[in-house]
Amino acid sequence: MVLAGTSFFSGCQSPAPVTLKIIAAGSLLYPFAEAEQEFEASHQGVDVQVEGHGSIQVIRQVTDLHRTADVLAVADESLVPDLMYRPMEGSDRNFTDGYTPFATNEMVIAYTEKSRYHEEITHENWPDILARPDVRVGFSNPMLDAAGYRSLMVLQLAEEEYGDPGLFERVISDHFPSTVRVRETGGTTVISLPEIMRPSDDHVVIRDGSIYLISLLEAGGIDYAIEYRSVAEAMNLSYLPLPASINLGSAEYADQYRKVTVELGFPRFSTLGRERVGRPVVYAMTIPANAPNPGLAREFIDYVANESLAGRPGWPAPLARGVSR
Amino acid sequence: MKHHTRAALPATVLLLLAIASGCSAPAGDTLARDWRLTVNGTTEKVITLQEVRALPSVTGHGYCVSTTGARFGPYTCRGVDLRDIAALAGGIGPGQQAWVSAPDGYLWVFDADQLDGKDFVTFDENLKEIPSPPLRIILMYEQNGKPLSYDDGGPARIAIVSEQPGVITEGSAWVKWVDRIEIREG
Repeated sequence: MVLAGTSFFSGCQSPAPVTLKIIAAGSLLYPFAEAEQEFEASHQGVDVQVEGHGSIQVIRQVTDLHRTADVLAVADESLVPDLMYRPMEGSDRNFTDGYTPFATNEMVIAYTEKSRYHEEITHENWPDILARPDVRVGFSNPMLDAAGYRSLMVLQLAEEEYGDPGLFERVISDHFPSTVRVRETGGTTVISLPEIMRPSDDHVVIRDGSIYLISLLEAGGIDYAIEYRSVAEAMNLSYLPLPASINLGSAEYADQYRKVTVELGFPRFSTLGRERVGRPVVYAMTIPANAPNPGLAREFIDYVANESLAGRPGWPAPLARGVSR
Repeated sequence: MKHHTRAALPATVLLLLAIASGCSAPAGDTLARDWRLTVNGTTEKVITLQEVRALPSVTGHGYCVSTTGARFGPYTCRGVDLRDIAALAGGIGPGQQAWVSAPDGYLWVFDADQLDGKDFVTFDENLKEIPSPPLRIILMYEQNGKPLSYDDGGPARIAIVSEQPGVITEGSAWVKWVDRIEIREG
C-alpha cells in the first residue's frame, strides 16, 4: 500500500522490484546462491536476498529479533517445531505451523593434498590417523554450529562401529584440560562440553564456522576437518566418506544416532536448552506467518526442493519426493 | 504549499503505519533512560547508563565477522572494560567467568583469560588469520562517536577492541542489548 502510494506521487512507471528475503543456514549458502540467480532469472522484478547464519540464529531473526523474512532454511528440521510452533507476540497465530524437509547431508572427513598422511588414509585407518600426535583435526564450535556437535557425535559413534572404545578420548578429550567429559546413562553416551571450548594443545582446532575451518585446511593450518559432504564438494576438497551407521546421513540409522547426546557448556539461547541429540541431518524450509511475500516464498521453496531432488553438486543430498510436515 | 502537502502525505501514511504496526525499535533517549545493567558477583549492583558512562572509558578499533563470513565494521568503539564493570560486584578472579546476557535470550561466556584479552582468534580484512594484538573486551555505549543505536545492539553491547585498526574478531561474542553480567566459578 505504501509502495503504491509513493509510486503514485512520484509518477513511477515501472513496478518496484519485490524483495524476497531468505535467511538460511551457512551450509546452504552455496546452493542458495545458485538458486537465487536462477529464481531471479525466471521471476522478473524479483530480487532474492539471501542472508546466512547458524540454524538457530536463522529462526531467532524472526522469533526473537522480530525481523521479517519470506523463507527460513535450517540444517536441522527439529528446530522449526521446537522454536516456531508457538504464538507470535500479540497474536494468536503461530510463527509457523509447518515446514518442508528437502535435503539431507552426511558428515565426512575433508582434507587436501597438504594434509599429513592423506595418501594413506582409508575407511579402516582414519581413526588412527586422526589420533596421531602430529596431525591437526578441526571442527566448528558446537556452541555455534550444528556441524560442530555433529562432528563430536560422529567420533563417539565410531567407537562402537570400529570396536575402538578409546577413539573419542584419543582424538578429542585428551586434547582438552579435563573439560570434555563422556558418560554413559541409560544406554546413551553423553558428551559434556565446557563453557569455553579451548583445547590444551594444537592437535584439535576449533573455529566459529565452516568457512574458517576450510581456509585453515586449504592453508595447511589443519590436516583434516569434519564437515558436511556438500560443503566439501562445493569447496572442491578431497574427502573420506564415513559409514552410514555413524555419518548422520541415513534415516535407517536414526535409532543408532540417538545413542549419542552432546551437552553444550551453556544455553546460548534461552529458547533452546543445552542438549543436542543425535539424529539424521534433515534440512527444512518454512514460511513465517508474517512473511511479506508468502506466495513467492512457496514458489522459491518448491524450486529449491525440486532442484535438490536432482542431486546437484555442492547441494545437500535429496530427500524422498513430496515430504511435507 | 500544494507541493508541501503532497510531500507530507506519504510521510504521514508511513508514520501512521509505523505506529499501527507497533514499530519495535524504541527511541534512543527512551532506551538510554530506561536501560539498567545488573552486575552480579559477590554482591549485586544495578546501574544506569549514566553510571556506566561515568566509569573510566576505553576507546578502540572494533570489527567483527559472523559465522558465515559477514563483516560488521570497522567501528570506533567507546565503552568500559568488562573487568571494571565486574569490579562493581566484587571483581573477577582466575578460574571465574563472566556470563553476559541480553533480554532477547542470548548468552555468551568469557573466562578471566579472555577478559585479559587473550585466546581470541583474529583475522585481517581478507579474513586471513593473524596473530592477535592486545585486545580488550568492553561494554560499548558509543559507536563512531554516537550513542549506540538499538539496531546496533544499544544502548550497550559487547565489543572486542584493539589499538590496531583492521583487526577482525569473531562476532558471536559481541552480545547485543546487554542487561546482565554474572560472575560465576568456572
